[in-house]
Amino acid sequence: MALWPNKRRKETARVCDANASPFAVFENVGLTIGQRKILEGLTLSLDERRIGVIGLNGSGKSTFIRMLNGLRTPDTGDLKLFGAGFAEAEQELPHHVGFVFQNPDHQAIFPTVEEEIAFGLTQLGADKAESRIRALEFLERHGCAELATSPIAELSEGQKQLICILAVLVMEPRLLVLDEPMTSLDALASRRIRDKLLSLPQKIVMVSHDLSHFEGFDRILWLEDGRLRMDGNPHEVLAAYCRDIDGRSGIKMELAAL
Amino acid sequence: MISIYLQKESWIHRTPAGFKLLAVAIASLLLFQVKSIWIFLPCLAVVLGLYASLGREGLAQLKLLRGLTMFLVILLALHWVSGTFWEGVAIIMRLIVLFLAANLVSITTRMDDMLEVIQPLFKPLQLFGLSSRKPALGVTLVLRFAPHMLQVFSILREAYQARTGARGSWRLLAPFAIQSLRMSDNVAEALKARGGSQGLSR
Amino acid sequence: MADRSLVHVAFYAALIAALGLVPPVAIPFLGGVPITAQTLGVMLAGVMLGPVRGGLAVLLFLFLVALGAPILAGGRGGLGVFATPSVGFLIGWPVGAFVAGWIMNSMKGTNILVAAAVSAVVGGIGVVYAFGIPGVAYVAGLSLSKAAIGSAIYIPGDLVKVVITAIVTQTVARGLPGAVFTRT
Repeated sequence: MALWPNKRRKETARVCDANASPFAVFENVGLTIGQRKILEGLTLSLDERRIGVIGLNGSGKSTFIRMLNGLRTPDTGDLKLFGAGFAEAEQELPHHVGFVFQNPDHQAIFPTVEEEIAFGLTQLGADKAESRIRALEFLERHGCAELATSPIAELSEGQKQLICILAVLVMEPRLLVLDEPMTSLDALASRRIRDKLLSLPQKIVMVSHDLSHFEGFDRILWLEDGRLRMDGNPHEVLAAYCRDIDGRSGIKMELAAL
Repeated sequence: MISIYLQKESWIHRTPAGFKLLAVAIASLLLFQVKSIWIFLPCLAVVLGLYASLGREGLAQLKLLRGLTMFLVILLALHWVSGTFWEGVAIIMRLIVLFLAANLVSITTRMDDMLEVIQPLFKPLQLFGLSSRKPALGVTLVLRFAPHMLQVFSILREAYQARTGARGSWRLLAPFAIQSLRMSDNVAEALKARGGSQGLSR
Repeated sequence: MADRSLVHVAFYAALIAALGLVPPVAIPFLGGVPITAQTLGVMLAGVMLGPVRGGLAVLLFLFLVALGAPILAGGRGGLGVFATPSVGFLIGWPVGAFVAGWIMNSMKGTNILVAAAVSAVVGGIGVVYAFGIPGVAYVAGLSLSKAAIGSAIYIPGDLVKVVITAIVTQTVARGLPGAVFTRT
């Protein structure tokens, strides 16, 4: 609201450096909720353009990527994001880190595409009229001008997810974090979304259960029981992961046979 | 957007929302001091005239009164029994005039414009460290949730029907609440990921 | 977490709206008086969210009604409804939700079914009628006793809603404990 700027917020100096390299440094980071260790002893630094995250359900993937956007706060260790400590950076993170969720229905807030895109701009302080114009321009640049006035609820799943990604991109983040963005999409739609993602200048951290989505990625992190099990180039990590899954399902089958 | 707003071009539509709201507020205050049929009659004529000036669709809006008929009949009967028939008539006329006048604002003002006019009233919220954007964002969220909830409910009902043959039951309310509450948690998280309701002024 | 609160407030406002779409049920042994599900939402908002957020949820709902959304039971909406005899009940709703939430908060040690039922009766019926009856009397020009008798036909239906509120609250407390804010 340009008319009544929130003074307290304006006075806080910016602490994040958008060009920091590496953009995230984890040092012995952990998080325990109740009795459960969600993440434990995580030490790594992220700098590559395309980073994939794999692991079974409950391995801590979601928590890990949510820390990048400030949605989860670590309770042990030291986390630096964009050159600033987590606590200081937390407020600014939504600006630098765009987060795309698995289910577009849970992300989109507004009834129409145009309003959804404009929201990101008003979040950054633009007034209503200006953000509307810029939202339309932005949609046009991304070839979605004809969707501007469409109700989001009436779009196809692929279009919905695309709009959710654009709604985040309009805030011009440096990093895009995606939590299984292709889960509800058909093969063609997920291919289109993947191509869109690879064409972006933003750095990307993506969680997926479909390993084929990591084509063209630079690095894969494999989490297991809240710890980093393997970290390296996609070829090696994915191959090891597949062997592991094969091995485990083999054991389970034998047990069931008894 | 769901609203009783009547899509149309008219001089009442063009009148600023703030003016219309103020006029209705003043009219309500004044009419509650009055008890005479001879004042309500011309008022009723004026209001009906205003609806007529919107044309056929305007007059069709008078159907909104239908929901009140039953009540008005009972009310008149009660007054008649108590021997205050004419007082009852006056009260009913006041009711109709105020109802129609207030609704006239609603059917000729877009929700956005209404919000815009009311927005300054929320400015004092900032004294408590709250953003004056919150009410508007709240409205958006309600409009967003409502259709989604119906969808959640119809899926549950279908599953219930498949298992029991019954079309629905109040039993579904609890799972419905649980499922849609979980959805609302996801929405809250997604909102926070984009900077929350306070925004991120640079 | 303020954003989460805002979303929950909006959620219950939407719930009250959605319950308004449930067709009114006429219960024969109650003399065929139609009961709508809407006040069930008011009770739930108070009992589940607590006084402040529960009250705000109902206020937000009424705000939407005032803006012209036809979300009151029977598809009513707009400023006009605030000129009808129901206005007292509408004003009583947020206060009732507040009181219900407050009682729920102060009965943390009690069995959840009992606590929810007591809160819903006092807040959702007692307080709501305390505002509603004078409202009817004032707008309709009736005596308080006549207005009270006229309004009383809805009380049996409201008692049914109290029972549902208690059961739903208890079930949600088992299925998604974090969602019953008056118990955390």
